[in-house]
Amino acid sequence: MTQNRRRRSMMLAAIGAAGILALTGCAAGDTDGSPESTTLTVWHYYNTDGQVEALQKLADSFTADHPGVDVQFEYVPVDQFTTKAVTAAGAKTGPDVLVYGASGTYSLAEAGAIEPMDEWWDAYADKDQFPDGVMQKVDGKLYGVQGYVNLLGLWYNQDMLDEIGGEVPTTIDEMEAVMQKAVDAGHQGVTLTGKPGFESQWQGFPWFTSHGFSYGDPQAKPMADTFQMLQDWVAKGYLSREASTWDQTVPFQQFASGASAFAVNGNWQIGAAKEASFAYGVAPMPISSDGGVLLGGEVQNIGAFSKNKELAQDFLKATFFSVSGQLTLLDYFGSIPARADAASDAQIGDDPILSVFTDIVQQQGRPSPSPEVPSKNVNEVEGLVGDFWSKAVASDGAPAQLADDLMTQLVPLLKG
Amino acid sequence: MTTASGTASGTASGTARRRRREPVAFGVRLVLWAVYGLPLLWIVLTSLKSQGEVLTSQASLFFTPTIAAYLEAFGDPALASSMRQSAIISVGTTVVCLVLATPAAYALARVKNAVVVGTLALLVILQMIPQTANLIPLFWILSQWGLLNTNLGLVLADATLFLPWAILLLRPFFAAIPISIEEAGRIDGAGTLRAFFGIALPLARNGVLTVTAIIFLVSWGEFLYGITFMLTPSNYPMSALIAVQAGAYGIDWPGMMAFAVISAIPVFLVYVFSYRLLRTGLTMGAVK
Amino acid sequence: MISLRTMTGPSRPSGDRRLALALPAAAILVALALWPLVQLGSMSLHEVTAATLNRDWLFIGLENYTRLFASPDFPRAVGNTLVFVAVVTLLGMVGGFAVAVAVSSPTRGASYLLGMMVFVWALPPVVNGSIWKFLLGDHGLLNEAIRALGGSPAGIGFLYDPQLALWSVALVNSWAVIPFNALIFRAALLAIDSEVLEAAEMDGAGPWQRIRYVLIPHVRATATVLGILTVVYAFRSFDFIYVMTAGGPGTASTTLPYLAYVEAFLRLDYGQGAATALIALAVVIVLALFYARDVRRSEETS
Repeated sequence: MTQNRRRRSMMLAAIGAAGILALTGCAAGDTDGSPESTTLTVWHYYNTDGQVEALQKLADSFTADHPGVDVQFEYVPVDQFTTKAVTAAGAKTGPDVLVYGASGTYSLAEAGAIEPMDEWWDAYADKDQFPDGVMQKVDGKLYGVQGYVNLLGLWYNQDMLDEIGGEVPTTIDEMEAVMQKAVDAGHQGVTLTGKPGFESQWQGFPWFTSHGFSYGDPQAKPMADTFQMLQDWVAKGYLSREASTWDQTVPFQQFASGASAFAVNGNWQIGAAKEASFAYGVAPMPISSDGGVLLGGEVQNIGAFSKNKELAQDFLKATFFSVSGQLTLLDYFGSIPARADAASDAQIGDDPILSVFTDIVQQQGRPSPSPEVPSKNVNEVEGLVGDFWSKAVASDGAPAQLADDLMTQLVPLLKG
Repeated sequence: MTTASGTASGTASGTARRRRREPVAFGVRLVLWAVYGLPLLWIVLTSLKSQGEVLTSQASLFFTPTIAAYLEAFGDPALASSMRQSAIISVGTTVVCLVLATPAAYALARVKNAVVVGTLALLVILQMIPQTANLIPLFWILSQWGLLNTNLGLVLADATLFLPWAILLLRPFFAAIPISIEEAGRIDGAGTLRAFFGIALPLARNGVLTVTAIIFLVSWGEFLYGITFMLTPSNYPMSALIAVQAGAYGIDWPGMMAFAVISAIPVFLVYVFSYRLLRTGLTMGAVK
Repeated sequence: MISLRTMTGPSRPSGDRRLALALPAAAILVALALWPLVQLGSMSLHEVTAATLNRDWLFIGLENYTRLFASPDFPRAVGNTLVFVAVVTLLGMVGGFAVAVAVSSPTRGASYLLGMMVFVWALPPVVNGSIWKFLLGDHGLLNEAIRALGGSPAGIGFLYDPQLALWSVALVNSWAVIPFNALIFRAALLAIDSEVLEAAEMDGAGPWQRIRYVLIPHVRATATVLGILTVVYAFRSFDFIYVMTAGGPGTASTTLPYLAYVEAFLRLDYGQGAATALIALAVVIVLALFYARDVRRSEETS
């Protein structure tokens, strides 16, 4: 019995020691950088290989010009991003630079995670290169600038179109005709996002605006027509009902594997498209003149609690806001530069895919979040519309009924 | 061959009798092998595919395997630091949680009064709070205590997260010990601490070791607190690396599965080691 | 540290003194678990969004709650939650016990099986959920098997049919929970005296009778705890829903905890999310009281 007790106490002592060692040995937990170096933390939610490489390249070029600076990129999942940033702001801490989604601008601004950048932006020599559409403003103050835009286009499988004798469509009717031919030949017509949430709002925007819907004057009929279109597509086999579970990755992977004639997807898939073993192209969305395409992409600003604000500003000017930085992002990530001079670079004009996207920006681009949506309800509106898009794809209700239900919840939110 | 029988007293006659067929149990086990082995196999297979093939060969076992995903994973500069972080956090959380939970479970098993009943109900209620609901208040508290972005802070948060669960799990093991043994000890002059350490703990060893292994496993996989309370990327645990694979801009299927496999290996090793401990512990911790 | 040396034997029970053993746990729980719960309650009574988090919160009384009850998705979410909890609890408990009995034989194969199952259980939900998403997809293994056996060529929409989505996720969640329950049940089963089992055998009891009259009664205490823990887990589980269906299609597989997550993190309305979480918690309070009462009663009779 005594032996057991001694063994027991030794075991406990060992565990205790191990525990204490583990904790104290790493209580600080920070990497010990060299004492002279300054660290710039950048919060983002990029996760693909191309994006991560691009970030590293940007950091490398910056640190080459600024020795003694260490740039650390911290990934925060997109769902947690705004919450982490505003909670940190409440604790009076935060990163030096934030790269965030535009629909979070209002919350971040109000919560004090970011500050107006008018002052240092006005002093920026190149500011005129940036169009108004990429300025994120709250109450007239500038809270972020997009270094690039991401948008949707109609990707098409050239080989399949040739095979079935279809032309690149310029109207929805033409598109449906081509999709019918695709289905007759045993392929899918189109892949798109139908997952509940804000991504579907982004996907749906061109279509329901094309049918005449606008946030400024929300009516049920255009929505009902859009939902009817979706359900027709599903019924005729153009679109799989499984789309109601897809985010933006899976539909494009399906397209790239040759399963579908069209894909409604974005410019950032340029890298993924290269995996395709067929000829492909991009066309503007075949929407009416009422329709538009939201200009997405991330917004950049410095953190309100940054300890190195000037350095952070320099970082942004040298990377996301510079010509070379934007072209780097373009290379690795396919994002369309926001700067006019970068966007007119030959690299873009010569590329068949990129030039189409820049055209779409010019012809069909609309700011995101939509200005007619009251700032404080942006997240709710986007989520709600996205949910109903998903319901429509899954045939979880008749189009007219879904549209009415949507309006009932949407109109109060849009009134503000 | 004498099996290390799973009961306290493995008599030779018991062994002989146990050898007969148990068809229902056998059938159940077969189904289980299929239902749990298949997804596990799929995880490994997916980690050996290329991104494009993941979708085209969803249901097929035939594809050209490639270790590209693993090479990429091993090339990730954050792999070593995150693995170290996971180890520190898991060990720390397990130790803190068990050190706090075991005496508490014992106390709640032995004492019978209204306070205990209320506490048990409270522990159940505390379990209901979703992790996400704790993020904001805990962030504030940790920042007040200067524990943001520290391993100690994360360990405390994780340990608190698992504590009600651990206490509720451990309690029946202590309650199952006949009170007569402790009473005998008390007559011999053993105080509360001695009764706990010398009598109850050894007898509940079975359960304590099981719960220890479980807490280690779940704290290894915990990621929400890790990704919220750590403010520099080098402090992220391995679970964050898996989460990165499924982000806003895309899901790297082979990458995710490769990281999952890599992340599971240390856990697997610990698990195998502790399993042997569990089994030997069973024959040594005789109730008699 | 308080001196815990008791003065006398059984005539003066040291019940109060022994409670001191629970003090450290209590301290940390108060600071890091109770206080956040209070904060949650406070948030649910105010208008707290990401935008207003760091300002003064506007007190709005029960408005978050009334808004929740009035929401068109609320009845569906409640129904879904009850279905989800019922499926996960029933399957998790029955399955866990059955597995524990099936692997309680001391063969190496049984140990490996349980080991593999617990290993699978320990994998992150994003991994398990993603794999099942593949297995249940239109071109996944299950649908291919169904097609091979002559079933519908279009495939069954396990995850996108509004009628099926919730059940599919609930089944996968049960699958994920069973190994844990089996492990705990097994530890309890192993504590049963082999002599009791042998005596039952010699009395002529077949395997099913042994299960009914020996095994089940002996694991009653464990079963109660596991039952409560499983119900609570099922009530707040949302990881699998998040990964597999995102509560969809539309809101077909949205449960209360998932709704709370959406409200807090995607709509950035923390007050609303808090109210939803607390409603789910209210149900559990009832269960918790039952559990505590049951514990008290069972220990008075033992």
